[in-house]
Amino acid sequence: MEHLIELRDVFKIYDEGLESEVRALDGVSLTIDRGEFVAIIGQSGSGKSTLMNILGCLDVPTRGEYLLDGISVGTLTDAQLSKIRNQQVGFIFQQYHLLPTLNAVENVELPLIYQGMDNETRRATAMAALERVGLAARAKNFPKQFSGGQQQRIAIARAISAHPPIVMADEPTGALDSRTGKEVLAFLRKLNDEGSTVILITHDNSIAATAKRRIRISDGRIVEDYLQEEAPL
Amino acid sequence: MNFLQSLKMAWRSITGKKARSVLTILSIFIGIAAVMTIVSVMEGMKEHTRQQYAAMGSNRINVSVYTWGEDANTPPTDYFPMLYDYCAGMKDLVDGITPRGNCGATVVYGTKTTANMEYKYDDDWNLISAPPDRLYGSDQYAACNNLKIQKGRDISYLDVENIAQVCVLGAQTAPLFFGTADPIGQKLQVNGLNFEVIGVYAPRLSDASAQQSNMDNLILFPYTARRLLGDPFSSEFIVKAKNSAVLNEVISRLAGFLKGKVNTQTGGYNVWSENQWQESENQQMTMIGLVLGGIAAISLIVGGIGIMNIMLVTVTERTREIGIRRAVGAQKSTIVMQFLIEAAMLCGFGGIVGILVGTVGSIILSRSLFQITIYPQFGVTMLAFGLSVALGLLFGSYPAAKAAKLQPVDALRAE
Repeated sequence: MEHLIELRDVFKIYDEGLESEVRALDGVSLTIDRGEFVAIIGQSGSGKSTLMNILGCLDVPTRGEYLLDGISVGTLTDAQLSKIRNQQVGFIFQQYHLLPTLNAVENVELPLIYQGMDNETRRATAMAALERVGLAARAKNFPKQFSGGQQQRIAIARAISAHPPIVMADEPTGALDSRTGKEVLAFLRKLNDEGSTVILITHDNSIAATAKRRIRISDGRIVEDYLQEEAPL
Repeated sequence: MNFLQSLKMAWRSITGKKARSVLTILSIFIGIAAVMTIVSVMEGMKEHTRQQYAAMGSNRINVSVYTWGEDANTPPTDYFPMLYDYCAGMKDLVDGITPRGNCGATVVYGTKTTANMEYKYDDDWNLISAPPDRLYGSDQYAACNNLKIQKGRDISYLDVENIAQVCVLGAQTAPLFFGTADPIGQKLQVNGLNFEVIGVYAPRLSDASAQQSNMDNLILFPYTARRLLGDPFSSEFIVKAKNSAVLNEVISRLAGFLKGKVNTQTGGYNVWSENQWQESENQQMTMIGLVLGGIAAISLIVGGIGIMNIMLVTVTERTREIGIRRAVGAQKSTIVMQFLIEAAMLCGFGGIVGILVGTVGSIILSRSLFQITIYPQFGVTMLAFGLSVALGLLFGSYPAAKAAKLQPVDALRAE
């Protein structure tokens, strides 16, 4: 069976050939299949965020091939890449990245707007996503009126509103206390149980331990790819 | 994403950053209002002079005769009688001829005297009263100056021939001496002589603008009365041609006639048309208008630079927003379109406010300065509006296009 994600010898090099050259990714090859829960773990500066950005089509590799669903991403146009980000991937960021001028439900609607969904369907879909994270009652409030944990839940609602098959989370608990952090992880686990492929980026071993598969990255290379049968949580 | 949603999104951004939006709108609005008001005031000035000339009548020819040198002491000839006869000989080309002469005498009626009459203005510097002009004219003075008798009768040929002690008053002058009473038959004392008021001219301009120009404030004496009042004879004359088609013909005939009469060794003559003055005055005003319009255009450009500044800051400030939108699936073109619509909306608001204020400003200024209501010209309005919107679009979309070109991750990282 075809892999969902396949990286073939991918490099991301900044200032190549200069003295300041940085190899954020130094020949990474990996495959991820549908329905996996993968934690990518590494120290700050190890290249784990770069890896996620390339996997999520937020960035392009310097060299190497990235196949998503069997399609080589390097050949795609901006419009096609935008469509992948819009429909295939849901992002959750450490700093939430909500738009302060939009209220909760409008933030959740953003990916749906770019799908060209009509007003009523869009509002209903976004409200359903907010319902899932338990914030439907406060749909009209603006981000600054929410706590950090609540803002992250809005961001999660935004990530899942378009029902993407892949959810990518970059240090989603980094700005949260441990209890709210656990809630976020539990929610990701639930999404995975429902069939989503979840890719979790973290520097925290204990968080990575909750995943079935752990990929440790250091200096732009994969140093460990560990599969545990029964993840605690 | 459909257009309506783009509009809604732009509206949210604009209302989300009120101070920035107000500043942008302000810089456009000032430029547009300034351009519109200045152009309209210039138009008002032109129209005002046009009306003045129209009130005096067109196709007037100025004739002047002069002497110089050692013969300046020799009493020069009075050319008026011969010119009068010459013009009478071309009745099909000429409506009339009159001397241009001022009478220096003081005019008195009871306690009212021109010696005490002064220029008076109200708080807004509108002229409210002024001493009348005392003038000498022929029986054709009215024809040459676009005047019509309203009451009584005009000065006649016989009045001039017989040196009759009579006068005709302008529409503004009669109330100065007689208030609401009937002036006809009353006697004015001029240098101690009694002059009977025989008629009153009709006003040439609307009340307000006549008051301002003081055009209808005059006392006209028969030309020959200068002998009684001790004034010298005139060396300047007005000839009124029948129409503009014969204007040049009359000018060349008058010049030809004077060539045979005036000794060019000791003096000379000039014959010219007032239409030319009007044209050159119009040209001058167009020039002034261009200069002022240029200054106003600079204010529009300064406004445009202000918009550019704000847009640049806005885009920098919103690079992360662009990153977020890109991350959730917005294409480059969608982002650029969003900023374009936003800039167009801001400039549109500024433009509308500017046009409203410019229109009101134009009407108020042209009314208070020239007593004429000038509505801003459509072309100027559209030009000012189009220019500022173009500036807004240009400076709004360029930085946005730059930001949209970034990889989404780089835009997301921006602080």
